Amino acid sequence: MQQKRKQLEYERLVLVYSDELFRYALWLCRDKNMAEDLVQETCMRAWKSLDKLRDTSSSKAWLMTILRNEHARQYVRYRPDMVDVDLDMLSLRDTDNDTSPDAFALKQALSELADDYKEPLLLQVIAGLSCEEIASVCGITKSATMTRLFRAKQKLRDVLRPEEG
Amino acid sequence: MKCDDFKFEYTVAPNEIGAEASRHQLSCVECELFVEQQDKFEQQLEGVINCTVPDGLRHSLRDHVVRHKPVLGRFPKTSIALAASLLMAVGIVGINLTSNQGSSQYSALPIDQLVVEHFEHDGASSTNVSHQLDPQQLAHVSQQFGVRVTLADDISFAEKCPIGDSYGLHMVYQYHDQPVTVIYMPEITLKATLPFQYAGLHGWIKPLKNGSIAVLGGSTIEIPEEEFADNAIEWL
Repeated sequence: MQQKRKQLEYERLVLVYSDELFRYALWLCRDKNMAEDLVQETCMRAWKSLDKLRDTSSSKAWLMTILRNEHARQYVRYRPDMVDVDLDMLSLRDTDNDTSPDAFALKQALSELADDYKEPLLLQVIAGLSCEEIASVCGITKSATMTRLFRAKQKLRDVLRPEEG
Repeated sequence: MKCDDFKFEYTVAPNEIGAEASRHQLSCVECELFVEQQDKFEQQLEGVINCTVPDGLRHSLRDHVVRHKPVLGRFPKTSIALAASLLMAVGIVGINLTSNQGSSQYSALPIDQLVVEHFEHDGASSTNVSHQLDPQQLAHVSQQFGVRVTLADDISFAEKCPIGDSYGLHMVYQYHDQPVTVIYMPEITLKATLPFQYAGLHGWIKPLKNGSIAVLGGSTIEIPEEEFADNAIEWL
């Protein structure tokens, strides 16, 4: 019975959050295959430690934390060789919904944003996490989160209207 | 509140602004204009960041865990016996400690809410499929629930899904060329047919010999009458 409940809970998490996990993973990895692998590994780890998830209202932040940690762990283990192909451009091709010049400029600026600023922004836009949840996922204070979100958005807005910058 | 403070708060998290900021927004023309521009920017940002998710990702995530679950048979029988004894001992103590955690938060929700919640997560992707489902695939999924679906020709989607504290057979049925969602829930019962209309959806849930069946669709879509439930599935 306990096993069935665990399986149900796991499948519910996959149903509700797999899209968001993939989108976040894609921005971290910049490669669709690596992103899929990262999400799989995240889900495997989530399954193994599902019993530790006491409060289901924090499931999303919990999963994002696992994904982020797993990405950091894998990145330490495996650093891809630098090649001539522009990895940022690859990521742009992977996220090809909007093809307008503004969208292209935004994607480029987002790719160039420092991770410290990009991560809180991605967690807010993709996962809809609150500032408090983002702070907990990234291991920073809430006020630092707010500052980083503000600066990240300001920087991106300046790309769209440089005359006001 | 000063305009700069409002702009900071709104830029950081538009959905989290406090009461003071809300009041300021209502009373300041300049900030109202800023909000319009910022909302447009947030939409652009969302469009750029949110990419398409590969088809079948969810399936692969479910399968991945099933494939990698530890298998009991790999361990020596003596180890299993010892582990079982230990588990029983721990279990007896544990039952008292966990008796209040027996049911999840989902069992407390009304059945129509469970169905609508599931549709909110799975509805868009399931109703997008327009071609007929392979009959063998449908048979494979429905057999897990001990039933045969008699609507095979018009089913475009069938999947075993978590509904509340149990599983349901989630199908999409093409009714008058419109996708209608049908969910058979063998472990969820109710006394009488329950019609519902909210969250842009309308439908009904009817008790069956074993469990219940929900039929729902968008509020503008025509859905079948209740009698539909009597002939939709047969028990094996």
